[in-house]
Amino acid sequence: MVWVIHVLNGVAIGMLLFLLAAGLSLIYGLMKILNLTHGSFYLVGGYIGLTVMQRTGSFVLALIVAAAAVALIGTVIERYFLRRFHLDELPQTLVTFGFLFIFADLSLWIWGGDPVMLRQPRIFAGSLSMGDYNYPFYRLFLIAVGLVIAGGLWWFQEHTRLGTMLRAGVDDAEIARALGINVSLLFTLVFAAGAALAALGGVLAAPVLSLYPGADFDALILAFVVVIVGGLGSLKGALVGALLVGLLDDFGKAFFPQFALFTVFVPMAFILVVRPTGLFGRR
Amino acid sequence: MAIKRTAPLGLVTAGVVALTLGAASLPVRADDTIKVGVLVPLSGNFAPNGQQTLTGIKMYFDEIGNAVAGHKIELIVEDTQGKPDVGVTKARKLVERDGAQVLTGIVSSGVALAVNDYSRENKVPLVLSGDAGADELTMPGPLVNPYLVRTSQNGRSVSAPAADWAYKQGWRKVTVIGSDYAGGVDTIHAFAQSFCQLGGQVIQEQWPPIGTSDFGPYLTNLDRKADGLVTFNPGADGLRLGQQFSEFGLKGKLTVLDIYGTIVYEPNLPQLGDATLGMYSSLFYSPMIKTPENERFVAEFRKRSDGQLPANEGPNGYVGAHAIADAVKAVNGDLKDTMKFIAALKAIKFPSPKGDISLDKYGQVIQSMYIREVEKVDGQLGNVPIATYANVDQFWPFTDTEFAAYKYTYKELKGSLTDCGKLLAKK
Repeated sequence: MVWVIHVLNGVAIGMLLFLLAAGLSLIYGLMKILNLTHGSFYLVGGYIGLTVMQRTGSFVLALIVAAAAVALIGTVIERYFLRRFHLDELPQTLVTFGFLFIFADLSLWIWGGDPVMLRQPRIFAGSLSMGDYNYPFYRLFLIAVGLVIAGGLWWFQEHTRLGTMLRAGVDDAEIARALGINVSLLFTLVFAAGAALAALGGVLAAPVLSLYPGADFDALILAFVVVIVGGLGSLKGALVGALLVGLLDDFGKAFFPQFALFTVFVPMAFILVVRPTGLFGRR
Repeated sequence: MAIKRTAPLGLVTAGVVALTLGAASLPVRADDTIKVGVLVPLSGNFAPNGQQTLTGIKMYFDEIGNAVAGHKIELIVEDTQGKPDVGVTKARKLVERDGAQVLTGIVSSGVALAVNDYSRENKVPLVLSGDAGADELTMPGPLVNPYLVRTSQNGRSVSAPAADWAYKQGWRKVTVIGSDYAGGVDTIHAFAQSFCQLGGQVIQEQWPPIGTSDFGPYLTNLDRKADGLVTFNPGADGLRLGQQFSEFGLKGKLTVLDIYGTIVYEPNLPQLGDATLGMYSSLFYSPMIKTPENERFVAEFRKRSDGQLPANEGPNGYVGAHAIADAVKAVNGDLKDTMKFIAALKAIKFPSPKGDISLDKYGQVIQSMYIREVEKVDGQLGNVPIATYANVDQFWPFTDTEFAAYKYTYKELKGSLTDCGKLLAKK
């Protein structure tokens, strides 16, 4: 029974990581932007969700408002800042790095420095009893949400016109542009969608992992580990990487606690040696 | 033109002021002002702790009209950002440029260790009144600094009474979850050692790294045979651990004894809600202490911080300021003889919101420790004191010589917490 719980837990955390890493991975895959502001999207999304939840008490509304607001922030950043440095990686990374700090200070200013927790939706309070152990309903819900979003993204990428355009853009933006695909619009859409996914991750994670100054950096590091393991630019890679990291983290902490700090990073280094592009990365 | 006209006027004013002052019985000259340098983190992760400490410090000095024995008190506040290098730079600036005669505050142990060196080398009195609780700062050893006193607390003094209380509740076997850093190791080991000495035992130790977001694996691993779970997880970790503890359905299965109240920290209580009811904790303070000193303190503190209840930082800053003021009064405002001022600091004795305060010969505070239980008071969750240990010093329940006789330091004991033989081995 303990094993079942450890597996469930690894998968639940993995799903949160997937939401975070999917956007990061797609943005890099399409636009070659190493988006360090992704950590802020997660944290600011969580905080906006918190405020909405406090005002209205509705978790669903918190998810929607946070995703929409952060998508808007993402659009502005992409259109008015990153656009100026198209394919110029160093300035782009520096701009996103700058925004990471600006959002960190703004959040500290608006929401204060005390760690805060989003209240879980009431229907998911309590836990599933499994013999001597319990497993929280909310984490089961996280697994379900993660699976639904992963499925939705996969369907979108494989079966819609926009998805096909996205895949074309990831493969070769120049050729895609030559074929008449509006790559510029695609860039903005993907950046906004990635930001929205990170914000969803922030709101969904907040009732478990809490929000605090510095959560943006913590989330960013884990998201990077996931995309390095899974391979940049690949949704499948983000999913497999996230699950792998979630499970490794759980089992590492449970069975090799003295190595808790690097149960995630040692496998990452190992994968980098064996497959420098990650499990599903190309080039 | 304006400057030319006001210059003579300024001179005249100065002359008039000088004459008036000369006539007064207590002449106040510029160098009669006592300058107190306050080092607190006002940005970064420790900002809330720094802010509360500062509120406490200001509250006390405001209460006495920012003057002691005819000397004006001037506070000069600097932000350490919780970083040791910044802390030392700011300490140097306060002393060498602003002329601060005494330094106070300090939240992070890292900053405390760095500023401790500066204070020792430059013979600057340092009154630690923030969270910085590294034991070795005030215990005989290489870090001892004759210019340092600490009025806040130290790591082990909050743990030992908790062990005593747990044993008296009939607990014999406990499982522990402590944050994996120097402070966490000190705090949990002090508990284990005292618990062993009484006849109890730690049967399982888990050390999540600082900043652990998911405690799921640790909670699943908990040994259910234990009589209780002992925790020490400061910062956001405590909030997450508390939340996930109830999420995993452990409430009612394991009783929590939270050293320092890291889970039941006052700002966490409304967020964690009723899940915290019945959790025990040990600390040198609770806003629910029923003394006139504390009731007055809590009322004024809430006025100054949007109705927020004080946790431990506010009272700590307040007590540090009180100690400085009393010592300044004892030496009649003459801080030139540093050792005399330090001696006056070590001699302080007064009732405070925390309880009765005095210092030992090492300059470390002797104060009350409270075992607290989360209860609902007037519809609000609060840490209600249910047991008090008076006059707990840094070696309690041992004496300094008894304590020095133990063979291993806490740092050397990591991973052997379940081995009472080793914890209690003598030199």
